[in-house]
Amino acid sequence: MEQTENPAREHILQRIRKALSAPAEHPSTPTDERLFAPVSEILERFEAECAGNHTECVLTTDSWATAQAVAEVLRSTPAGEVFMQDAPSLRRLAANLADRTIHWSSNGRPSEEVQATVTLAEALVAQTGSIFVSSACGGRAATVAAPVHVVVANRAQLVPDLQTLFAQVSHDDNMLKNSMLCLTTGSSRTGDIEKILVLGAHGPRRLVVVLQEE
Amino acid sequence: MTTPAQEFLRSAATKSADLRHRQILRHSIDTYNTSAAQGQARFLDWQAARRRAQAIKWEAVNHLDKYLLQFEVRVKERGGHVFWAENGEQAQKYIVDLAAARNVRTVVKSKSMVAEEIDLTPALEHKGIKVWETDLGEFIVQLRDEPPYHIVTPAIHLSRKEIAALFKEKLGGIDTDDPEKLVAAARVALRRAFFSAEMGISGVNFLVADAGMIALTTNEGNGRLGTSLPRIHVALTGIEKVIPRLEDLAVLWPVLSTAGTGQAVTCYNTLVGGPRTKDEPDGPEEFHVVLLDNGRSELLADAEQRDVLHCIRCGACLNACPVYRSVGGHTYGTTYQGPIGSVLTPHLRGLHEFQHLSYASSLCGGCTEVCPVKIDLHHHLLHNRRNAVKAHQRSWKERIGFRLYRWTMLHPSWLALAGRLGRHAIRVTHALGLGGSALDPLRAWTKDRNPPPIPARSFRSLWKERRGAD
Repeated sequence: MEQTENPAREHILQRIRKALSAPAEHPSTPTDERLFAPVSEILERFEAECAGNHTECVLTTDSWATAQAVAEVLRSTPAGEVFMQDAPSLRRLAANLADRTIHWSSNGRPSEEVQATVTLAEALVAQTGSIFVSSACGGRAATVAAPVHVVVANRAQLVPDLQTLFAQVSHDDNMLKNSMLCLTTGSSRTGDIEKILVLGAHGPRRLVVVLQEE
Repeated sequence: MTTPAQEFLRSAATKSADLRHRQILRHSIDTYNTSAAQGQARFLDWQAARRRAQAIKWEAVNHLDKYLLQFEVRVKERGGHVFWAENGEQAQKYIVDLAAARNVRTVVKSKSMVAEEIDLTPALEHKGIKVWETDLGEFIVQLRDEPPYHIVTPAIHLSRKEIAALFKEKLGGIDTDDPEKLVAAARVALRRAFFSAEMGISGVNFLVADAGMIALTTNEGNGRLGTSLPRIHVALTGIEKVIPRLEDLAVLWPVLSTAGTGQAVTCYNTLVGGPRTKDEPDGPEEFHVVLLDNGRSELLADAEQRDVLHCIRCGACLNACPVYRSVGGHTYGTTYQGPIGSVLTPHLRGLHEFQHLSYASSLCGGCTEVCPVKIDLHHHLLHNRRNAVKAHQRSWKERIGFRLYRWTMLHPSWLALAGRLGRHAIRVTHALGLGGSALDPLRAWTKDRNPPPIPARSFRSLWKERRGAD
């Protein structure tokens, strides 16, 4: 729309500059204080955090076991659409899923009736038991649209904490080209009714990380 | 015509006497307090985290122009639009016109306090556009046709029985007070809306300057769906939400979650920087960020209270406030409730009409103590009181009262006389059974309470006697 050029922009900027000509007192804060204990034993920490935030974490040792683990999760879901990120590793994995019709991300977004989605992740964070995904992981809706989301990841993607994650992401121009990034921690939830925790609000009720250790 | 101050007093009197209301709020806030304490324990030093969060917001707010421009450049590089609005009408008009120009019939909205501030939903509905609130708490209060009760927990004032009755009436086909089933019913009701809406409107938790992305914190996943499925995404925010660097989120995401709900981090901490790229399979074709001033730059000019713009809308000060817990959210009659609302509203909507909120406080300082970005909230209430007095906006009764008070305090014998007369008057009215009546000098206090017994002798005479005995 043409309106993105309008006089309000200049007015606001002028007012801000004028306002800031009177300095506010600076809170002298040491910036080197450590806020979190360093994360050691990162795999153990990741598993413990996942257990705490209702992420199911399955450790596997090779690609065959990974494929089996994914197949097992999908077997527990009702018949219907399985949506997968179109990535070579997931194409290979899908060869084991002959009984399910697969909607590949290269054919557009998941449908309203999608039962499960399978994607990769950009990184895993031990400190909070989170997965870090982007719009490159099957698109913007793939990682949130279905009742079950399966993430296929490997040990090398695990970073100790958020500080490390952001230090990497901030300098990764390719990552920053994505239109969406998301730190996902546990399955979708709400506490809006009497603060009672209910899993599976609008997003997945189950979040499963299949983590290959090689 | 009643003033906001009269309305506040009337509603406060009703709500604070409503024991059921008090019990519902207490239950929710006790649950929150337990989680928040657990969340804080995850930090080596929660106080250090507050100091860091404060430093980040200080840097951003005190260089607001620089960081907003940096943000704007990056969003435009990705093909997004940035619209600057001086007031609510401009922001509202931009969004309503955009919706009309793109033939939008349905909007899915995730939580945005700024949308409440500018009355966006009624304006869209006026144009015949259906607006779905998709945050569960917001969805509930929308069905009740009332504003949110709390900036983080909109339906904090409702029991599950009330929500069950509401769903039974408005959604149909459901008759249960099981929270799981109620959530499932809302999910079904909103699922279709997500997949059919042409426009998604979201709020913003942080505008990340160096990355040129908005950060959105939700638990339910509604913010993810609403910003992914419709073909247009509009993000609406105040100009003060900017932060300098992506790396700041390693501090601010855990701090916001801890203060807001007690979680280590919320489920979905999402960054959106533009419309879908050509390599992406889905996502909106258009991305608009609306930056709203609406009085914020004036607050910025007040160096003493500039830190009010540090607010990250976590709701911790509401939970900590004994006044909020007694009078509830709607009593404030403002978009932002609780201590932050009492400080902010006179700046956004006029010192004259909303100065009474500066007195909606016990000055206990609980709000200042819990604020994760260390806003000096209770002192700002005092600053607003002082400013109202300076601007001659207090009543003549109060001005004369204070003059008399000052004079009496400076003249010990008159103070003694006033005390003696006061004690007699109270004793006599109460002896005559007129306690709490219009003749009782302590009526403001005694109409709802029994006064303690009036001592036989004054402090002054006891002091004289005992000092004399030394």
